[in-house]
Amino acid sequence: MSDKNTPFGFGRRRFLQGSALAAGALALPQFALAHGHTKKPSELIVRAWGGAWGESLKAGVADPFTAATGIPVRLDFTEDNEIKPKIWAAVDQGRVPPIHVNWDTTTNATISALRGATVDLGDLKGLDGLLSIAKPTGIDGWPLVNTYSYVYVCAYRPEAFPDGPPKSWRVMLDPKFKGRVALYDDGIGFNPIAVIAGGGTAADIPNNMEPAYAFYRDLKKNEPLLGEDADFTTWFQNGEIDIACTISVNARAAKQKGINVEWTVPQEGCKVDTDGLWIPKGLPENEEYWSKRFIEFAVTREAQEKWCSLLGLPPVFPGLEPPADLAGDPSYPTAPADFEKLVSVPSPILVENQPIWFAKFSEIMQG
Amino acid sequence: MTLAILQRTDRFVSVVWPSGLHGMNGYLFLLPAVALVFILVIALGYMLEFSLHELDLSTYRLKEAYSLTNYQTILDRPVYLRVLWRSLLAALIVTVITVFLAFPYAYLMVRTSSAATRKFLLVALFLPFFIGQVVRAYGWLIILGKQGLLNSILTGLGLPALDLIYNYPAVILGLVQYMLPFAVLLLTPAVAAISEDVELASESLGANWLQTFRHVVIPMATPGLVGSSVVVFTLTLTDFAMPEILGGGTSDFIANAIYDSYFQISNIGLGAALAILLTLIGSALVALMFMIAGTGTLAVTEAEE
Amino acid sequence: MNGPRSKAIALWGLVAFSLILLSFPTVIIIGASFTAGEIIQFPPEGFSLRWYEKLWQLDSFQDALLRTFYVSFICTLISLPVGTLAALATVRYRIRFRRTLQVYLLLPFTIPLVVSGLGMLIVFGEVRILGQLWPVGLALCIINLPFMIWAVSASVNGLDSELENAAANCGAAPVQIFFTVTLPAVMPGVITGALLMFILAFNEFLVSLFLVDSRIVTLPVQIYNSIRSVITPDLAAVSVVYILIAVIAVWVLDRLVGLEIFLRSK
Repeated sequence: MSDKNTPFGFGRRRFLQGSALAAGALALPQFALAHGHTKKPSELIVRAWGGAWGESLKAGVADPFTAATGIPVRLDFTEDNEIKPKIWAAVDQGRVPPIHVNWDTTTNATISALRGATVDLGDLKGLDGLLSIAKPTGIDGWPLVNTYSYVYVCAYRPEAFPDGPPKSWRVMLDPKFKGRVALYDDGIGFNPIAVIAGGGTAADIPNNMEPAYAFYRDLKKNEPLLGEDADFTTWFQNGEIDIACTISVNARAAKQKGINVEWTVPQEGCKVDTDGLWIPKGLPENEEYWSKRFIEFAVTREAQEKWCSLLGLPPVFPGLEPPADLAGDPSYPTAPADFEKLVSVPSPILVENQPIWFAKFSEIMQG
Repeated sequence: MTLAILQRTDRFVSVVWPSGLHGMNGYLFLLPAVALVFILVIALGYMLEFSLHELDLSTYRLKEAYSLTNYQTILDRPVYLRVLWRSLLAALIVTVITVFLAFPYAYLMVRTSSAATRKFLLVALFLPFFIGQVVRAYGWLIILGKQGLLNSILTGLGLPALDLIYNYPAVILGLVQYMLPFAVLLLTPAVAAISEDVELASESLGANWLQTFRHVVIPMATPGLVGSSVVVFTLTLTDFAMPEILGGGTSDFIANAIYDSYFQISNIGLGAALAILLTLIGSALVALMFMIAGTGTLAVTEAEE
Repeated sequence: MNGPRSKAIALWGLVAFSLILLSFPTVIIIGASFTAGEIIQFPPEGFSLRWYEKLWQLDSFQDALLRTFYVSFICTLISLPVGTLAALATVRYRIRFRRTLQVYLLLPFTIPLVVSGLGMLIVFGEVRILGQLWPVGLALCIINLPFMIWAVSASVNGLDSELENAAANCGAAPVQIFFTVTLPAVMPGVITGALLMFILAFNEFLVSLFLVDSRIVTLPVQIYNSIRSVITPDLAAVSVVYILIAVIAVWVLDRLVGLEIFLRSK
């Protein structure tokens, strides 16, 4: 597999790279280039979320990819927001980026695409057979490939809700839950829902966000906790909170760990969104080539089935059955009727407005 | 052998740095430190440049044109002034409490006659040092949480559980705990420099220990007090981890606001403007502290005099 | 009322409070690391070494630990001459704009670490030194340099300049005086500072985060990244490893120079 096993060892590899460079410079015959361009890299680095997320990617995509190609995959758990400036700086400065593939929220990936940091993935095999949500909207081509959808559910501690699951997000305002409500620290996943919970409609987004801000101001009086994925799990497990808006994956992982937590989609609905994969510009040709093969593999039936069932999320590969524990679950939309209960905000609107919502959210919450 | 090396070095030095230049020795000694810190000045230069451009939300790049929009945004949004005030107040409270606790610690460590006690105090000081802020914060979570140790004791006694965490006081507590070893270490040499005879003399003149402390020990320890105060103050003012973890997301400091601008909303210009403001305010306050503490005290004589 | 008894009570009372404050989270974390359960809790659920086993089996853990040692070593190595000389200069020499200079030298503390981290990412990126470990050590030296300067300054304040003058009068040359008189006199401060620099570099995650990539990740960054998604008791186990390193460091230091060196002023 690796050049190390051949009698030529490193020498041959260097020679190939050298000849590729020379060929490129002189625009000479392509055969040397073709070799350099598909030569297997020593590893691929894929940025990922940790915990249940990373484990699912490893088992569902990375390990099978390594088994098929012999290329080891290293997962980099740098946070999605924190890898962003590192990649951007590398692209702007013409350096090789620190990762090969970024597993990212669609919104953040689209922002990176707008900034010109992404490689076009239009030539990948298998894209045509995917559900339409696989293709990013509001931007030309395929700077990223969406790989599944997910729902920001209403997770709750059943003990705190003896009469059954919360019916409306407005229970967050009940003084009974003072200090026991949790949201993401930028309000992500809740901003569109807050509009509806605050008396508006989905049509108000993004032009009239005032109902959401009114809801936040009321919620602020109830002293909510703000955190990230790991915090929600810790808080549920330590009995710090009764209700939270978090991604179903986290609630499900907590439940599988024995923490007493359930989830529901209240009457106002829940936000549904997608995550995707993309490749930063500036990689050596052969590394970019194999990064593309990685993403190509991630949207095959085999990978989608395993990866997404471990996550408990609906894949972009059509016709796959949900895992047994999620059949009929509102956090796993399959039929159009399921999607009707959910609120989806088009990516271009999120890209242009989310920073404004985040800033307003923190302005209210830091008061 | 070593001496020979030193003498040879001296001969070499006398050629490249003749004694006529020895008046410049201070500057020569400072050069490496000034050069290293200059890397941060370059970084600040970038920040200043970023801060003068508005973010274009259609490309997520900073606009070409220069503008003061980011600074205007900071002034327009009361949240930033509130967060700034919260950081400044915390820096002040944490400094006062930490130095108040550190002084007796350093004093006892220096003055105790028992070698075992001294060693115990030193080790107790060093061990927590090796546990980072993040992990210590989780330690506090276990202790102070809703179902944590303290609240279990309270409810066991039939008392109501208290909200001890995810608020401003919890952040202050975490910071005091984090800063205490720094403060003690920076105070200790100053306390050790005070001769015990001076204290005895003061007491033989009829002063009680509190008076001796106030009029003799504390003034003589001023360099150490200034040093530890400045360090604790600036580190608290710019802290990120404690408000992030113990504040429950609603007790942010300026560093958290900068972080959010850089990373959550990808507005590096706004974050840079906040960074410039915070650095200016921090530096001005430090200068003020030096000016106040540097005059009218009985500090160890300084080289200029 | 204000006799020696009340003095002892007041001082020991405050110190006892500090001791509890300092050791409480440490003790809790040590205890929690031996849990047999899935979550960090105290008292721990049962007793086991499973989280230590898990830690040790991670190849990445051992590599990251070694890198952390290396980075901390570089940081300390650079800070020793730089910080010591700067401290001597600010306290012992006639320097114009001394106060301004001290404010300048405190910039590493007045600039938030997030800003220094992102700033150095850009600067180091421009000069193409990212992706290596030594710039991380350099960066950690810069952001903690005031500690070294302050620690040494505290000792310089107690340094008797008569000694240096005497040496000079006896015909000793400057370099010789520096190494035979000045340096030994400020050694307590130098050692305190060096130890601080090492410890701080060993724990720093925020600036390091920007300057490492996953090929050269250091332990604090790895810990920080791993707790962003899920917190398991291996976090407590890592801390205990840190405490063990601390115990060894303190013990070695005590054996080599005696811990009392921190308490001497000259």
